[in-house]
Amino acid sequence: MNTIGQLALLFIGAALINNILLTRFIGLCPFFGVSGNFETSLGMSLAVVFVMTLASTATWVVWTFALEPLGVGEFLYIPAFILIIASLVQFVEMYMRKVSPVLYRAMGIYLPLITTNCAVLATATEAAKPGFFKMNIDLGASLGLGEALIYTLGVSIGFGFALLTFSALRERLEIAPVPRVMKGTPMAFITAGLLSLAYVGIAGWFGL
Amino acid sequence: MDLMLVLKAVVALSALGLVTSAVLSTAARRFHIEVDPRVEAVAAILPGSNCGACGNPSCFAVAEGIVSGALPVNSCVAGGQSVADGIAVLMGAEACAVASVVSIRSCGGGVNAERAYDYGGVRSCAAVARLAGGAIVCSAGCLGYGDCVKACPFGAIVMDERGLPVIDLDACTGCGICVRECPRGGAGLLALVQENAPVVVRCNAHDKVKGRKDACSVCCIACKKCERACPSDAIHVVDMLAVIDYEKCTGCGTCVAVCPQNCIDVHGRASGISSVAADGKGKDAPGFEIEAVDGAVE
Repeated sequence: MNTIGQLALLFIGAALINNILLTRFIGLCPFFGVSGNFETSLGMSLAVVFVMTLASTATWVVWTFALEPLGVGEFLYIPAFILIIASLVQFVEMYMRKVSPVLYRAMGIYLPLITTNCAVLATATEAAKPGFFKMNIDLGASLGLGEALIYTLGVSIGFGFALLTFSALRERLEIAPVPRVMKGTPMAFITAGLLSLAYVGIAGWFGL
Repeated sequence: MDLMLVLKAVVALSALGLVTSAVLSTAARRFHIEVDPRVEAVAAILPGSNCGACGNPSCFAVAEGIVSGALPVNSCVAGGQSVADGIAVLMGAEACAVASVVSIRSCGGGVNAERAYDYGGVRSCAAVARLAGGAIVCSAGCLGYGDCVKACPFGAIVMDERGLPVIDLDACTGCGICVRECPRGGAGLLALVQENAPVVVRCNAHDKVKGRKDACSVCCIACKKCERACPSDAIHVVDMLAVIDYEKCTGCGTCVAVCPQNCIDVHGRASGISSVAADGKGKDAPGFEIEAVDGAVE
């Protein structure tokens, strides 16, 4: 799994075919929580790309050099990864607040929210020890750091893409003549279902 | 072997915890940011109930805004004059007057109001308002399911035995949340008036007096007795309803005494009579005397 073509396939597979929000249904809380507004969705998406990439790198390093050699990874990975992700986000928040207040204001409020996000834990876990989730793409027994990063970027960009599409749709729906009983969240659920169907349809494109 | 595994797991997780905590505590010292101590001090003065009446997301955001100069010291609507004064002292700024308001309820219906149908659904005014406009015949009266009671962040409203929300002026801060929550708040059933408003008309109906009397036994009947009796020309029957002009009202209490329906109440703070005790009592309110009220108000 090393040629450019395979890496591209890994990326697209992670971003679209196994879209974390719309085909794997992980991380749905921000999907409905912040999607009412395009601006906040953009902030959330950027923060997710940022945190997921960092978290995957950290968990990959800890898994490969500490948990796996010690033979304790199989049952210790969840507490260990939660610990890593939580403290990493804390650290990044402190660093960002000091170094770049502007970036902190744009992204800062979403960082603590993402700490407890299942999508981040799922992706970081999957990048460190593939095979956790049943997916259409075969990640093999383990990923190299580069592949893990590409995979994570794919997942997080897919997350952002789905979130932004959905929030744009929801903003249009706000002014659409939706029946009163269906206005707001009910309509959002139906839209999400249709969007999910469309994403499931993408799986056929590449014959994977 | 198994013991070894347990030991390894314990050591691995503790080591991980130690490393992360060491990194975090170093970072906390290294990246420490001096927060303006005045923000904390201002936040301590603010009510802290995050009611949102001022239009800001939280009391802490208001504190930051006041310290940075983006918001005036009298930003807190709910806190009123005392909070504004406290913050002004802290910030070394000129204290400015807060437009202090309180909430009033313009209905004396409750059990006196005729029912249009038996309602057995969700006990919420918003829900019953959607069913043919409410379960009472009167189109302006209180629906009586206490959405305002649930919404009040200061616990200033309680339902009494008449099925009406009674506003305790000692606790009311004038945040206006009840007015927004009430399905008939926009129509004037609940409203914000200036804090020292001395009397309140407990009716909000504008439809024909004949039909109104069938719908409720304590409504304003537009008899104009108050209008004729008022020494300061402050109360007028407008659109078949007695309306008080608080700019002119002196709080003498004459209208309360002459109202044949007992639907004008003495109201709170300026009169020295408890708003809870006076609610719905009209001239029978404890402590009500025209002279007494007259002397208490300028």
